[in-house]
Amino acid sequence: MRCSALAAVLALALPSFAHAGAPTSLSAAEVPALLKPPAHGVRIIAIWSLDCAYCEANMQALAKLQHAHPREIELVTVATDDIGQSAAIEARLGAAHMGGYPARAYAEASPGRLDFMIDPGWGGETPRTEIIRADGSRQGITGEITETQLDKLP
Amino acid sequence: MRKLALALLCLLSFAVAAHDMPGMHMASGPGLGASAAFDAHGRLWVVDAADGHVRIRHSDDLGKTLSAPVDVNAVAEPIYDSGENRPKIAFGPKGELYVSWSQPLAKPWSGYVRFARSLDGGAHFSAPITVHHDLAVITHRFDTLAVDGQGRVVLAWIDKRDLEAAKAKGQPYLGAAVFYSWSNDEGKSFVPERKVMDNSCECCRITLARTPDGGIAAFFRGVFGDNIRDHAYALLPTDGSAPHAERATFSNWHIAACPEQGPGLAIGDDGTRHAVWYEASQGPAIWYGQLDPGHPPQHALKLAGPGASHADVAAHGSTVWLAWNQVDAKGYSLMLRVSRDGGLHFGAPSAIASSSAAVGSPQLLVLQDHAYVAWNAADGFRLIPAEAR
Repeated sequence: MRCSALAAVLALALPSFAHAGAPTSLSAAEVPALLKPPAHGVRIIAIWSLDCAYCEANMQALAKLQHAHPREIELVTVATDDIGQSAAIEARLGAAHMGGYPARAYAEASPGRLDFMIDPGWGGETPRTEIIRADGSRQGITGEITETQLDKLP
Repeated sequence: MRKLALALLCLLSFAVAAHDMPGMHMASGPGLGASAAFDAHGRLWVVDAADGHVRIRHSDDLGKTLSAPVDVNAVAEPIYDSGENRPKIAFGPKGELYVSWSQPLAKPWSGYVRFARSLDGGAHFSAPITVHHDLAVITHRFDTLAVDGQGRVVLAWIDKRDLEAAKAKGQPYLGAAVFYSWSNDEGKSFVPERKVMDNSCECCRITLARTPDGGIAAFFRGVFGDNIRDHAYALLPTDGSAPHAERATFSNWHIAACPEQGPGLAIGDDGTRHAVWYEASQGPAIWYGQLDPGHPPQHALKLAGPGASHADVAAHGSTVWLAWNQVDAKGYSLMLRVSRDGGLHFGAPSAIASSSAAVGSPQLLVLQDHAYVAWNAADGFRLIPAEAR
């Protein structure tokens, strides 16, 4: 009990420590802004989930590409898990060395509606990579991204 | 200084514990992963999870009101209760209540399959046991529960022990495996687990259904060849013989991804294997078909395309019901199609309910010739008659 009380006090006193890199919620109303073409270059949305066994490698491949083209590529991670699982999402991103990128998580307890709003032609399987270019063109790739697909980006 | 160090240590422990609980909603509210079933007396039972407890409620008025919850596990533990994971419930021939769930462990994707029973009509439950004998901190999750015609409790789950063994030897291994076990003593203990099939999908629910002779059959998503995500069908023998899984869908959907959409199965009195499944080889689609293991399904019918998900199927006599979620930007519709000729022809799809709140997977239940859909939404559990009465 004493331990919990001390931890609780410290967590309150150091919110930045407790929540560094935590995802922010993505609601239905916020999807259009996420999908809005960037002013220049490419926005890549790396969509993943806690249950997905292929997603960390996918995110890391995209991060490597972003690192090689920092001015052209904006990388955002989006977890399809409920923001209520924020702690697990943050921990997984950190373990995968993805904590440095803007992170979002679904604000709904089941992913179907937000999946559909992001792309009606996508059934929710992860990983999913959404590529949005400044000229308004879009591309969606389901499954772990291949070297051939990476070579065509940005 | 020592106090500060102690506090930091405590905080770290707390944070690690919180991080180690994927699938458990840290905000403490119930997840959408719930299961419902009618017992032999027509009482509806609902299981879900909240605050680290699987909880059970019942209803004697077709879901209009639910009883106060009873905790199945007295001691709180992490519980998977979202996506394709949900606590399960089944009944024994003498009114035994059986409940299973998957418990997240410290490592990503890891878990144990847990089980408890009540022999006093749901008033009290036994201390939970871990069903499998292998206790490595790896995937044993996506549990599925059924009771066979002899009263044996049968559990199947996704298991990564063979993937881990292959990795240790530097050998390739796609996906996971499906394992199963059963209990000959009303759930007091389970026999050592056996493998149903190598190379299953990692994150899709398994469905179990009883055959006309009282056996249990499994239908689940597999990985065939180079990441083709079709489905397999297998009987789960309880006589010591080895299961024999056969490919049962042939969509040839090739993808290195987690669909997180498992299939549904209901077996008619005549042995017809009514199935529903999802695939996206030509865009998202859910299908109905009658399984002919080793061959493509018969009477295959595409039910719906983009926005359709998580179908379920039930059969009684010559009636076959199909239900699924259909989503658009406004929210969810619960869709239904009915066949009166054993699945040869289906009526037009109709929306029988809608929800602007998030919903879980629909579950078709049959009671006295009539079907109902259990639909767990973020704003509450609903039992919806499949047809106007």
